[in-house]
Amino acid sequence: MLGLPLAFATPMILTALVLLPVIWWLLRLTPPRPQTELFPPLAILARLVRKEETPAKSPWWLTLLRLLMAALVILAMAGPVLNPRAAKLAGEGPVVMVLDNGWASAPDWEDRRDAALALVGEAETASRTVAFVETAGLDPAAMQPMDAAAARAVLSGMEPKPLKPDHAAAAGALSRLVAEISPGSVFLLSDGLSRTGTDSLAAAMANAGGQRSVIAARTDRIVALDTVRNDPDAMTGTVLRTPSAEAAAVTVEAFDLKGLPLARRTVTFEPGADNAQFRLDEPVELRNQIVRISVTEMKSAGAVQLLDDRFRRRLVGLISGEAADVSQPLLAPLYYISKALSPFGDVREASTPNLATAVPELIGQGVAALVLADVGTIPEETEKTLSDWIAKGGMLIRFAGPRLAAAGNSALLPVRLRDGDRSLGGALSWESPKPVAPFERGSPFFGLEPPKEVTVQRQVLALQDFDLEAKTWAALDDGTPLVTAERRDAGWIVLFHVSSDATWSNLPISGTFVDMLRRVVSQSNSTGIRGDGGTGDVRLPPLNVLNGRGELMPPDVAVKPVVLRQNETPKVSIDNPPGFYGTEDGFLSLNLFEGGEKLTPLDRSIFGGGVEVSSFARDAAVDLKPWLLALAALLLVLDCLAVLWIAGSLRPANLRRPTGRGAATAAVAALAMALAFTANPPRAAAQDSDADFAAALTTRLAYVITGDSTVDEISRAGLTGLTQFVASRTALEPGEPVGLDLATDELAFYPLIYWPISLNAPLPDAATMARVDTFMKQGGTILFDTRDQGGGVLGGTANSPEAQRLQLMLASLDIPPLEAVPSDHVLTKAFYLLTSFPGRYTGGDLWVEQSVVRNVEDADRPARAGDGVSTILITSNDLAAAWAIDSGGQAMFPTASADITQREMAFRSGVNIVMYAMTGNYKADQVHIPALLERLGQ
Amino acid sequence: MSPAIGSAAPRETSRETMARARARAALIPDLLVEARKVAGNVFAGWHGRRKRGIGEDFWQFRPYVPGENMAAIDWRRSARDDHVYVRDREWQAAHMVWLWVDESPSMLFKSQTARVPKQSRSLVIAFALAELLARSGERLGWLGVSRPITSRHAAERLGEALIATPPQSRFPTGTEVRNHSDVVLISDFLQPLDEISDRIRSMARNGARGHLVQVVDPAEEDFPYAGRVEFTDPETGERLTAGNAQALKSGYGALFSNHIEEVRSLARSFSWSHTLHHTDKLASQALASLHVHMTQGRGTR
Repeated sequence: MLGLPLAFATPMILTALVLLPVIWWLLRLTPPRPQTELFPPLAILARLVRKEETPAKSPWWLTLLRLLMAALVILAMAGPVLNPRAAKLAGEGPVVMVLDNGWASAPDWEDRRDAALALVGEAETASRTVAFVETAGLDPAAMQPMDAAAARAVLSGMEPKPLKPDHAAAAGALSRLVAEISPGSVFLLSDGLSRTGTDSLAAAMANAGGQRSVIAARTDRIVALDTVRNDPDAMTGTVLRTPSAEAAAVTVEAFDLKGLPLARRTVTFEPGADNAQFRLDEPVELRNQIVRISVTEMKSAGAVQLLDDRFRRRLVGLISGEAADVSQPLLAPLYYISKALSPFGDVREASTPNLATAVPELIGQGVAALVLADVGTIPEETEKTLSDWIAKGGMLIRFAGPRLAAAGNSALLPVRLRDGDRSLGGALSWESPKPVAPFERGSPFFGLEPPKEVTVQRQVLALQDFDLEAKTWAALDDGTPLVTAERRDAGWIVLFHVSSDATWSNLPISGTFVDMLRRVVSQSNSTGIRGDGGTGDVRLPPLNVLNGRGELMPPDVAVKPVVLRQNETPKVSIDNPPGFYGTEDGFLSLNLFEGGEKLTPLDRSIFGGGVEVSSFARDAAVDLKPWLLALAALLLVLDCLAVLWIAGSLRPANLRRPTGRGAATAAVAALAMALAFTANPPRAAAQDSDADFAAALTTRLAYVITGDSTVDEISRAGLTGLTQFVASRTALEPGEPVGLDLATDELAFYPLIYWPISLNAPLPDAATMARVDTFMKQGGTILFDTRDQGGGVLGGTANSPEAQRLQLMLASLDIPPLEAVPSDHVLTKAFYLLTSFPGRYTGGDLWVEQSVVRNVEDADRPARAGDGVSTILITSNDLAAAWAIDSGGQAMFPTASADITQREMAFRSGVNIVMYAMTGNYKADQVHIPALLERLGQ
Repeated sequence: MSPAIGSAAPRETSRETMARARARAALIPDLLVEARKVAGNVFAGWHGRRKRGIGEDFWQFRPYVPGENMAAIDWRRSARDDHVYVRDREWQAAHMVWLWVDESPSMLFKSQTARVPKQSRSLVIAFALAELLARSGERLGWLGVSRPITSRHAAERLGEALIATPPQSRFPTGTEVRNHSDVVLISDFLQPLDEISDRIRSMARNGARGHLVQVVDPAEEDFPYAGRVEFTDPETGERLTAGNAQALKSGYGALFSNHIEEVRSLARSFSWSHTLHHTDKLASQALASLHVHMTQGRGTR
């Protein structure tokens, strides 16, 4: 359609697009109705608005938006699909489909089959026969041209095989088929990977003639699991993928024989990398249980590695030269060894100390390692048996002891020994017992902490040969070898130069000994199956095999036993798919990937001209329906917002208004709230610092914002009036009064805070009162005003609601005893001489902290020398209302009495209070001036 | 569509005058009660002339001077000692105060944020003031409605007179205003400024001292409209459609505050007081402010 690879599931719906002009016409007819508002000052507004501004129709962009929305919905309903299947059948004659049905086809097998079925359907329409060439496990029956029904049956029975596709064989089969039936169309349904025979397959296709088409799957989801190595400290492996520029992560899981998960790792491919390593460093006991590792994301035989005996617990045989003394187990030479081996190996002790019978017996049991503790001489026959066993991969571990030291050299020692042993730190020795030196890098013990506490008192000494150093796995501080080892063919001989009991050294009773033995034993190969006999072929019946999707299944009848031949590694084939072969006790695993492999994407250029290359439908096809619907929904939201905006509801002022706009408004409100939340905090912080800065620079009177707007307005106006009065009458010129939010604002800058009590205001919480307490303790003064002198029957008594509220507020504060201002209090003399402190009302007392009890000799002082300033002043006379002035400088509230001087006296009270808060008891000290002058002068 | 921000009480035609009169009759007692409450808050500071004269309140006892009216002798006080005393009362010269409330259709406007329509608030202020003034024995009149009344119940009587008269939407001529009387005009002052100015000038020329109370609905000042709005003038019925009302807010705000300022300067030019009152605030605020203006004016005179 229009040159775009676009198709519609139901194109008939597209005819609904004809309706668009009708929708347009309808939309034009119904513009948003204006809000009608009554507005008395219209004449003033009319000076601003001369003419009709908005047309009576919808704005064109809104109409366009809605039309677009309708068109999108119609298009979405028609089910558009981008990039539909491109491969189409052309030409005449039989159709040949070369199918990649190996492990890599498993993840998208359904797509592959759908594509093949679609081709079969087309072939049926054209009455053409179909033949299949499978690249994995070629089925000759499927290569016969057949009709569509038979082809469908073949396809539905076809499953991905747990094999690597053999393109060379497929190329040969294709060539034969081409020669036989000369097909009109050849399709290669590739899994997207290139293999060794892919070139010849391409050549065979090129020779086929007629229509040739390659449909290649995407390879970005294909991963494979390469061989896993079980090192002593961890199990490591490689996950393969095709080279890709993108990073990706897959999960690798390990299972035991019963299918229980034991470990899980997330493996991350670096961008550009075609493989990634993983490492399972679970404890060796747990690791030895692992038999299957798979990639969770890829259900395919190629993403599974099966582990056999080689990774399981070793069977270790123990033979001692000394008869076991069961009555003294701690002195038995094998006691510590068997204890140290048991965490990671199965220990088998010889039933008899007779080497000639014990060694073949243990080897017959399939031990991986054999420990000879203080065995001196070995019978010649036994020595030969041992040598053969070692050559096949056995590990012989020997411990020194008196017998070995006495027996001298034998072939089954890694180094030549000096006769006898040396003793360190004994009564006749000059030397002290030696500690163990740090392990060298080449040693299997490297990485272990050298045991500090271990000392060696006796040992057998190696002769200084040229290769002694290379054979040394561990040495003492002075360089003498402690553990030496030598490789013999596939096996090892390891010698501990100390005894296996605690007599020669305390190594066997150290924790390091366990780790050392573990590492030594893990060097040994698995024996058992491959070492069994060694003559003739061994046939291992299939135990469990993988299917193409990487599931372990009981084998079907087509699976044949694995034949183990001398010097031949069994290979995965159609007869021997990957899986376990053998018996439950001992089995061999066959894996698809055997190490050092790479995944290469199909090089599409090798299919020369005339070959059409495309992708599978579902890989490339994009269903546009959800996208179009989502776009339409987005436009709907935009439309709602636009309508709200036109109706003027997007302004914060309107959002606060309780209207019945419903969900749309709620949504917009939520949006606005989100914006408000993001916008608010920094603004508040900035304000605070600005306010603090201003407050710190100028002395200001402050009032508490109670939350009752009427009271707060009176407070502000009152303090403004007082500020002007103070500035005009005294030397103090305060700045603009400031309202304080006690919960957040810094209080320390304000010498005096006016706090009117309002019943409508919420009670301050405990944290706020704690701040107030701090402020008062730091020397600030708070003037509480209950403002209740004029109201109520009792007017200003302790029982008024305001007074009770004040008591409630102050309950949490540390308030000293209070007294009504006595006539000689410094407040009465701080600036003006006052006898009372009227506000809007008179008669209410001003309460201050009680001064210290006067001494008798102070009785005639004119002013009391109270220390400090009272931190709390309580009045009921509504001072702020008396001080309050409006913007024109007029008093806002009449005073309650007929006395015209009352307002003046109220202001004077305010001045005295301010002066008192600012200067403290300075005025009280003035009374001493005559005495001071007297002392200074004369 | 959201409900409109502003609304108005339905405007009656002349045929419905009777119904309206009844409605107002029902309304005014309520207003009076409210006015009493408001006035109770502002009781303080309302006092007499501070000299003896004709009045109701006790002022002083003074010795009887022969020749005075024997009926003035306070026998109870005189019985306490050998002298004869006369009870003096405080002089309470009745002051003439003219009230007027604008009742044009624009005063019926009430927005969502306002508590009451402007007209209702204006009447409350007027009646509350009347109550206050009546208590101190002032003579009260309602421009264009009632002749001056001296009565403790002047407010009620003014209310009754108001019921009987059709609503006044035009500014009063104030021909009845004489020297040394106060005029309290309560309106939104949305009339043409020239008309207001003329009327005030004529009253001021008669020697009256005036107090303008400008009642403003918060919606008129804040202009909380947005989007596409069709505005209707309740006075003229004129319509105006604004496509994007929020864009007009700042320009309108400047014009409106300018209008208020013009009214204020007009008042100031005649040494009249001007009180701005918003219908979302309490009536007592305006009353307190008005009261301060009236008492201060007396103090300075």
